[in-house]
Amino acid sequence: MKTAQEMKPNSVALIDGQPWLIQKAEFTKSGRNSAIVKMKLRNLLTGSSTETVYKADDKLEPVILDRVAVTYSYYSEPNYVFMDDEFNQYELNKDDLESVMPFIVDGMTDICEAVFFEGKVVSVDLPTTIVRQITYTEGSARGDTSGKVMKTARLSNGTEVKVADFCNIDDWIEIDTRTGEYKSRAKAPV
Amino acid sequence: MRVTWDIFCSVVDNYGDIGVTWRLARQLAAEHGVTVRLWLDDLGALVRLCPQADRHAAQQWRQGVEVRQWPLPWQPVQSADVVIEAFACELPAAYVAAMAARPQKVLWLNLEYLSAEDWVEGCHGLPSLQSNGLQKFFFFPGFTAGSGGLLRERDLLDQRRAFQADPLARTAFLQGLGVAPIAEARLVSLFAYENRALASWLEVLAADTRVTQLLVPEGRIVADLQAWLGCAALVAGDRQRRGQLHVEVLPFVEQDQYDRLLWSCDFNAVRGEDSFVRAQWAGRPLLWHIYGQEEDAHWDKLEAFLALYTQGLSPAASAALEGLWRAWNAGDAMGARWQALLQVWPELAEHAERWCLQRASQADLAEALVEFYQNWL
Repeated sequence: MKTAQEMKPNSVALIDGQPWLIQKAEFTKSGRNSAIVKMKLRNLLTGSSTETVYKADDKLEPVILDRVAVTYSYYSEPNYVFMDDEFNQYELNKDDLESVMPFIVDGMTDICEAVFFEGKVVSVDLPTTIVRQITYTEGSARGDTSGKVMKTARLSNGTEVKVADFCNIDDWIEIDTRTGEYKSRAKAPV
Repeated sequence: MRVTWDIFCSVVDNYGDIGVTWRLARQLAAEHGVTVRLWLDDLGALVRLCPQADRHAAQQWRQGVEVRQWPLPWQPVQSADVVIEAFACELPAAYVAAMAARPQKVLWLNLEYLSAEDWVEGCHGLPSLQSNGLQKFFFFPGFTAGSGGLLRERDLLDQRRAFQADPLARTAFLQGLGVAPIAEARLVSLFAYENRALASWLEVLAADTRVTQLLVPEGRIVADLQAWLGCAALVAGDRQRRGQLHVEVLPFVEQDQYDRLLWSCDFNAVRGEDSFVRAQWAGRPLLWHIYGQEEDAHWDKLEAFLALYTQGLSPAASAALEGLWRAWNAGDAMGARWQALLQVWPELAEHAERWCLQRASQADLAEALVEFYQNWL
């Protein structure tokens, strides 16, 4: 068992027989030196999401899930199909992929991890850092080169990301998939 | 069948936890027609608030509430329809098992601490998923409509208005505490934790042109008061004078009497949670000594309340109030801060009443809890 405070985002807890992926965990001091943890959870079997609160020292049962390296292959409505290096295919729908959907693009080559619970694929995790191309952004307003001034940029799948003001259309950028935030400009993947 | 409520309270220190749970239990029983059992692990704390209580009785009925000694080890009982664990106390494992085994479902609530911080609304009423099939929720008191509200009895403000409109009632009440009101004096109550800022406040009050009558219920601040006065141990009934400052030590009074003390005074220094809320219902300017927390977490809570409370005040009044509260909680010099506050006194007095009425337009905590239960059903 782990305390709620010890359970980090992307870990999974077994609650009432159901595996819940912790998508977000916020620690807050409540009163008289006690604390709470607010979590956003996704049920890996049903795909439903919920917000929940625990006392920081409440006990939760962590689950270690099986993982297999996969790459995104193609979209076959309503499923996204991923494939491992033995050509096994794994199909997941949009709800299963909710947290990574903003970064699923055609032709992506990222080595992802398919996540299994009791033999069934339940989600896919992206690498912590991915590289994506900007398809549209406004020009630099003030010629800022510090990287501190930010503007909105759009990726090929429509996802919008705040990027440094000096980024341009067709530039490649690194994105942190845990936060969805721009990290830096990048070289085009080979 | 009347709905049954169990409230569990583990007394950690002071009178905050017992103060809130005792008040809540009485209000639920009196105004909402429910059967309330209050489980306490320290009956001695209750005796301070309810002198009729027996500190050794395993079971007793006081003011419509069944008060139970929280036994160690736990003795099996049937669980109630609604179970409140106050301030994150840990319910006995056997009691939780009894809740899970009960044929009728049980609503389990963790009643949290009071805070004005933004995150409270985002957490109030959220479930806490359990592995035993029980349905548990977090319930946060608060100052805004998105929170669980504040404890306020149904007729509290009517009683307060009637009392404040009747000078004879005020005088009679104060005389009952052994206080002889001094004509034209500023009447101030002082209830606080130990505070090194006290001396500088007392200095400025003593040197003032107007007389201040300072009423101090017995408590943790009395040692600092003694040190400043340079006298031997102060007890209830003791009086001291320094310049324009008249100090009177009062006995620790029951909650209803403490309300009247707050209503009687022009300015109230309060602490923690329960007296802090009651001072707001008094509709008079106040000074809050917040409960200190590790890593200075209490400062965020103090600033969150100030940000809310000062809305609608002029910049000068806002700055004066914030300056005094911050100095008091930091243990800094109070003299100039108090002088600044006096400059904006009329505005703060009006604001205190307006703030009180605004909070009273929201559902009170007991009402919100009952409504939460009804919606859950």
